[in-house]
Amino acid sequence: MIDTVALDPHRNVPGVRRPGFTHTLHAEWIKFWSVRSTAWSIVALVVLGAGLTVLVCATSADDLADGSAGEAAGSFITWGMTIAQITAIVLGSLVVTGEYGTGMIRATLTATPHRARVLAAKALVLTGTLFVVGTVTAVLGYLGGNWFLEQEGIGLGLGDDGVLRALLGSGLYMAGIGLFAAAVGLLVRHTAAALSIVLALILVLGNMVVLLPGAWGEWATKLMPGNAGGAVATPVSFNPNLLDPWVGFGVFCAELAAVGLIGYLVFRRRDA
Amino acid sequence: MIEAQGLTKRYGDRTAVDGISFSVHPGRVTGFLGPNGAGKSTTMRMLLGLDRPTAGTVTVNGRSYADFPAPLRQVGALLEARALHPGRSARDHLRWMAASNGLAVRRVDEVLDMVGLTDVAGQRVGRFSLGMGQRLGIAVALLGDPPVVVLDEPVNGLDPEGIRWVRTLTRRLAAEGRTVFLSSHLMSEMALTADHLVVIGRGRILADCSMADFIAQHAASYVRVASPQRGEVADLLRSQGLDVAVHGDELRVQGLDAAAVGELVGRSGLLLHELTLVRSSLEDAFMTLTATSVEYSARQQTPAGAPR
Repeated sequence: MIDTVALDPHRNVPGVRRPGFTHTLHAEWIKFWSVRSTAWSIVALVVLGAGLTVLVCATSADDLADGSAGEAAGSFITWGMTIAQITAIVLGSLVVTGEYGTGMIRATLTATPHRARVLAAKALVLTGTLFVVGTVTAVLGYLGGNWFLEQEGIGLGLGDDGVLRALLGSGLYMAGIGLFAAAVGLLVRHTAAALSIVLALILVLGNMVVLLPGAWGEWATKLMPGNAGGAVATPVSFNPNLLDPWVGFGVFCAELAAVGLIGYLVFRRRDA
Repeated sequence: MIEAQGLTKRYGDRTAVDGISFSVHPGRVTGFLGPNGAGKSTTMRMLLGLDRPTAGTVTVNGRSYADFPAPLRQVGALLEARALHPGRSARDHLRWMAASNGLAVRRVDEVLDMVGLTDVAGQRVGRFSLGMGQRLGIAVALLGDPPVVVLDEPVNGLDPEGIRWVRTLTRRLAAEGRTVFLSSHLMSEMALTADHLVVIGRGRILADCSMADFIAQHAASYVRVASPQRGEVADLLRSQGLDVAVHGDELRVQGLDAAAVGELVGRSGLLLHELTLVRSSLEDAFMTLTATSVEYSARQQTPAGAPR
């Protein structure tokens, strides 16, 4: 046996000895904001969400006012969010699949081997950001779009039925749909695959299941995640047959919890 | 101290690591050697809690990696594949790692300085050369000033100056009393760096001994003899019970040192042109030992599609 020098027990890297969840959260926060895709996704979300709302309100205000559009102004006041959700889906997916694509996941798990803690921190950073950005975007779209509606005398007040709910609901739905994409990303571990699945589910299948015969089509439409969850983000839905906004959002949260739980169970067991 | 006990990893019906047990002690550099596919990286991933063992355990100072509240303070690891996001700067990569383990931010600047990346710390790592990436990986490993350091192929892609730097660094880390576990394909480098060896082949431990013992056991040194009277010299040495092999113009003699061979030949009045002790290298010893356990051998070609 060789004589070994004992490592100086007083050597010390400053900091705390027992980091907790806030440290994991801080780490995920730094990770989230230190890649360009985050800033780009958020700029795109604001521009699409607020910009398109203002645009459709500006171009449709007169048709809405004289009734020739056959729709309620409330269906237009957060319309941009239906397109902006694509950027929330991209961002949510990248938060997870970006780590698998680059091998970063191994660095993440050597730093924090507690996998549930990693997922919780990621989810909190993602949903917190999307809620704030989604709500602010919806408010911006409302302010801009409503200016055009008011010119035609059909402006909506914050106190009007469903308006405030739709503004907060936009933030909630952006957070939810981003988390949904992240959970799917956890299952498939591949950016293109995750995006294809979620976008097809929300934007294509959500509008096609109505073709199923009778009550099947009706209920499938009500229960598809984009339809169930999206209703909360608009004062008046284009589709009158959807679930009530909060009921729908509850269904959406249950679906989200199911996919998230499967994602977590798979993640916990899987080799990184 | 790293300890593996009956550590096993199976992927379907393929056994990557087959019930291995070994320990890595502090204060010395332990080399982890093995042909490609022998199970080195799998073993290291299980050590770091990334892969779940099918059976057995591997612990660091008595605990599973996943049980450390701040693992970067206990084990520093450089992983073979780059575990980095190419769009993030070196400094940001170290910042989030430091944050995750509650390490002070100024430690980030310290390790950047230690590995010589201070000037490029703000650049995105996607633009880094292989060597700069390795230096960043080493910075990550040193971030928590850990007593155990695990380096998978640390000199990959480094220039000669970088290789020398890693060698000095690993020797210094061991001299400070740390446990250093190092894998490398470069035999000459390993021979210069490691004190102790754990050799793995086809998922099993083939050797676990000191560098000197390993070389002595698996590739004996010999005395090279050249003589115009080759035949007579060979007969003389064989008559003394020595093992003599003829390679072209030279004789390779095992069992005596050069001085003894010279005296023996001199007493019988035969002529010698050359008398050299040839020490076998780590590479020779490694090749001898693993000849049977190389997964992809150039000579034994498996037909395409055949099961391995």
